[in-house]
Amino acid sequence: MAGKSGRSISAQSEQNWKKRILSWEGVLVLLFLMVNLFCMVISPSYKPVNVLREMPKYLTEVFLLLPMAYILILGEIDLSVGATVCLSATTACLAGNAGVPFPIVLLIGILTGTACGLFNGIAVTLFTELPSMIVTLATMIIFRGVAEIALGSGGSVSLKNNQGFRALAGKIGPVPYIFFVVIIAAVIFTFMLSKTTFGRKLYAIGSNRKASYFSGIHVQKIRLLVYSVAGMMAGISAMFLVSVLYGANTTTGSGFELDAIAMAVFGGISTAGGKGKLIGAIISAFIIICLRIGLGQINMNPQVILVILGTLLILAVMIPEIGKNVKRKQL
Amino acid sequence: MRKQMVCGVLCAAMVFGTLTGCSGKTETGGKQSSVAQDGGGSSSGKTYAVITKSAGNPYNEKIAQGFQKVIEAEGGTCIVKHPESATADAQVSVIQSLISQGVDSICIAGNDENALQAALEDAMAAGIKVSCLDSKVNKDSRQTFVNQAGIKEIGQALMEAVYDISGGEGDWAILSATSQATNQNAWIESMKEVMKEEKYSKLNLVEVAYGDDEPQKSTDQTQALLSKYPDLKVICAPTTVGINAAAKVLQDEKSKVKLTGLGLPSEMAEYIGDDEAHSCPYMYLWNPLDVGSLGAYTSMALVEGKITGKAGDKFKAGEMGDYQVIEASDGGTEIILGPPFKFDSSNIAEWKSVY
Amino acid sequence: MEKNSLIKRITGSREASLLLVLIGLCIIIQILSPSFLTAKSLQDMVKNNAVIMIMALGMLCVLLIGGIDISITSTLAVSGMAVGMLLKYNVIHNTFLLFLIAILIGAVCGATIGLVVSRGKVLPIIATMGFMYIYRGFAYLIAKSQWASAENLGDFKNFALEKELGIGLLNNVIVIVLLCYIIFFAVMKWSRMGRKIYAVGSNPEAAAISGINTMKIKLIVYTVMGMLSGLCGALSVAVYSSAQPNMLYGKEMDVIAACVIGGVSMSGGRGTVAGALLGSLILAVIAKALPLVGIDSIVQNTVKGVIILAVIILNVVAQRMMQKKNLKRREM
Repeated sequence: MAGKSGRSISAQSEQNWKKRILSWEGVLVLLFLMVNLFCMVISPSYKPVNVLREMPKYLTEVFLLLPMAYILILGEIDLSVGATVCLSATTACLAGNAGVPFPIVLLIGILTGTACGLFNGIAVTLFTELPSMIVTLATMIIFRGVAEIALGSGGSVSLKNNQGFRALAGKIGPVPYIFFVVIIAAVIFTFMLSKTTFGRKLYAIGSNRKASYFSGIHVQKIRLLVYSVAGMMAGISAMFLVSVLYGANTTTGSGFELDAIAMAVFGGISTAGGKGKLIGAIISAFIIICLRIGLGQINMNPQVILVILGTLLILAVMIPEIGKNVKRKQL
Repeated sequence: MRKQMVCGVLCAAMVFGTLTGCSGKTETGGKQSSVAQDGGGSSSGKTYAVITKSAGNPYNEKIAQGFQKVIEAEGGTCIVKHPESATADAQVSVIQSLISQGVDSICIAGNDENALQAALEDAMAAGIKVSCLDSKVNKDSRQTFVNQAGIKEIGQALMEAVYDISGGEGDWAILSATSQATNQNAWIESMKEVMKEEKYSKLNLVEVAYGDDEPQKSTDQTQALLSKYPDLKVICAPTTVGINAAAKVLQDEKSKVKLTGLGLPSEMAEYIGDDEAHSCPYMYLWNPLDVGSLGAYTSMALVEGKITGKAGDKFKAGEMGDYQVIEASDGGTEIILGPPFKFDSSNIAEWKSVY
Repeated sequence: MEKNSLIKRITGSREASLLLVLIGLCIIIQILSPSFLTAKSLQDMVKNNAVIMIMALGMLCVLLIGGIDISITSTLAVSGMAVGMLLKYNVIHNTFLLFLIAILIGAVCGATIGLVVSRGKVLPIIATMGFMYIYRGFAYLIAKSQWASAENLGDFKNFALEKELGIGLLNNVIVIVLLCYIIFFAVMKWSRMGRKIYAVGSNPEAAAISGINTMKIKLIVYTVMGMLSGLCGALSVAVYSSAQPNMLYGKEMDVIAACVIGGVSMSGGRGTVAGALLGSLILAVIAKALPLVGIDSIVQNTVKGVIILAVIILNVVAQRMMQKKNLKRREM
């Protein structure tokens, strides 16, 4: 698989600045600026204060994007993260209402997520024949089902004491905490992927699982780890989501998995595995978030927004391909 | 190698840069909102928003229409917002977007009673008047609630219908929406409460089934009810999708089981009738246009300061007459539109084209 | 000796172990709820799951060539909604013509995806994810916040009630399901087209070298998937007497699950029509049985997920045991 696109690791080493700007990431940065300019033109209320205030809800999806990018690079997919968010939020809220102190509530929420991820990891490593998509599809139904059982007939739980979560939704100046946490997480994930042997191993497994197994990479251990991390990040995402919702219900986090995948793909990460850089995915996440906020502010029909996002997604993948063809013809 | 880091830093800088770069414009925004606050009195020039439960649903659409018509007749600006999906998550984004736009009031049909609290508190802190209609949010997140019909009245009416259709005795079942639906659960509870009376002692509620407001699942559930309980006499479906699916199953199978509940006349016209060939003798609903209109009048009264949402407040809702804010059972306040309306073979032809 | 090979053939095929699972499920349910195995109940089951069963066939082909299509229910919504609106505004009333239109709309939707995937070289999951949003948006835009209800549908809804296609024995919908399965079984087993699909799926490069136009095959497969989705759009409008823009939202995963349960490989090249049938039947039985056996509705989703997981894991375990047996035999 490697070598099909300019975005693989092999082509990374000897690039000059010109190439850097012309790369997909460069295009994305430009696109990000254009989207922001566009939103400022169309909506008078598209201001930093407002954008920062609207952002936390959308930023919770970025926590899912980071490990999802890893999983996609492995050539796999995890559909259960949205349901994991739901289950973690539920257990955290129930624990909080049972009188557990706030730090432990956070721990419980994150641990629940990690446990869900671990479960996925064990299932896909124990039965390597099974495609991850179908395993996580089943666990998606199960996790959300367990949350439904835990929530009981009301289907929703509200925090009796939301002091802790209120604090979590706090801000430094106009910038909410979650923004910093997202940036820190993004830096760690980007560093791990591009600067460590662990990252190299991910690309290797994604390009050719068998070859990397024979070259001594602990393929299954790494897969288990990545799925568990995905669960943990879903737990963290859930905690911030609870700080926006003060509770949880059975639809919490529904559709997050597809949003995360779309952001990653838009950022140039191939679902076939072995290709893509995290930085592109992170920029594209901000592009999509800003576009959603902007179009939301001019009260555009949400279905039209979806049509626009869908078209952008396809174009984003098609344009580099067409560009390559043109280049080939010129040569 | 360093280039990537540079790129990362650059991107972070971009985000902050664009955000701080345009912060100069904030002042104009501040002015706008201060102008809006000075306004007062008349409703013209004000912006009123209504948030429905989901897009693409004629019932929600009618509520929005009723709301919009009143606001525009009074010279205000109306924003109709449908969330991306029928979840509280999606509504949070919508509310925050409206706060950014600096609207004067928000009237919302909540997808979850509690999950919107943080967003709606933010809205109220920003000086926006918050009310809800059709499906309430908890008492801390609203100023008042426009209730389409009292929960007790609906429970009473539906129970009476079950009693009447079954002939006063026998098995009956409920087909609801999702097991989490706030409204449906409240109505079912209220029906169970009414059923404790001596009069209904011969009625036997065999099961509460949930069709999740999906036609396929509702069909499965109805068929399961029919085969599980051969002596079933009546199904009561207090949800528009459920009643539709159940009506279709019963009518197609020419079953003796009859149906009642809450449904849209335009959807149910085919199934309503007194004879054996129709599966639903009669059902109830309120006029969603009126729910929307009353929501609009309430929003205007709140913005103009005529009411504050306290129990005992009175206001005039245009041609709809006078309404009073009363205590609700959850400790907040509500305004009740009126008793549910009965649709039977005599009036269905007239109403099916209205909503 | 012959008997031995028969046993070997039965235990050797993936479908056989699935059939055992299906029979086991049915027996358990029958014990718990005697009304399950009646002709009427089974007919209801097929009718109510016809859409999933038919789309599983298209998905089988898509998975066979190593693709995936998660836009199918959006395509279904577009064509279903179009049919609903045509009836609502009294444009066309002819049932046959409406089905034709629905299939055509589906074909156009599918062909667009096919072009983007084959010519544009976009990975199927991304392309169809984009079109999932786009087509669903179209369905909402066509609907303009209206539903088409039973009253608007006139004679069209009777299609799902009558038995004219089944010569008075079987419901029309069931006849269509059967027809689809027979056609696909024949095409996949005996026609050149079927062989080509398998060839493209198991080794695209080899297929291309041996003279198969892989682009054309991809285009055809996605178009066929679209046509089936279109057909199902019209069918589900007829079956439920109602057209809503969010119909079957999220059910594409059920279709994929049906195929995978039926032993269709997601990396392409492996899978059979019989497998798709068994897979979708298992899902149908689960959907039908859960309310029947009196499981609390709150627990139903969890049970469904656990059963799906258990079935696919059972399948893997069975495969492994078989492989071990085969290896042992070779050693001897």
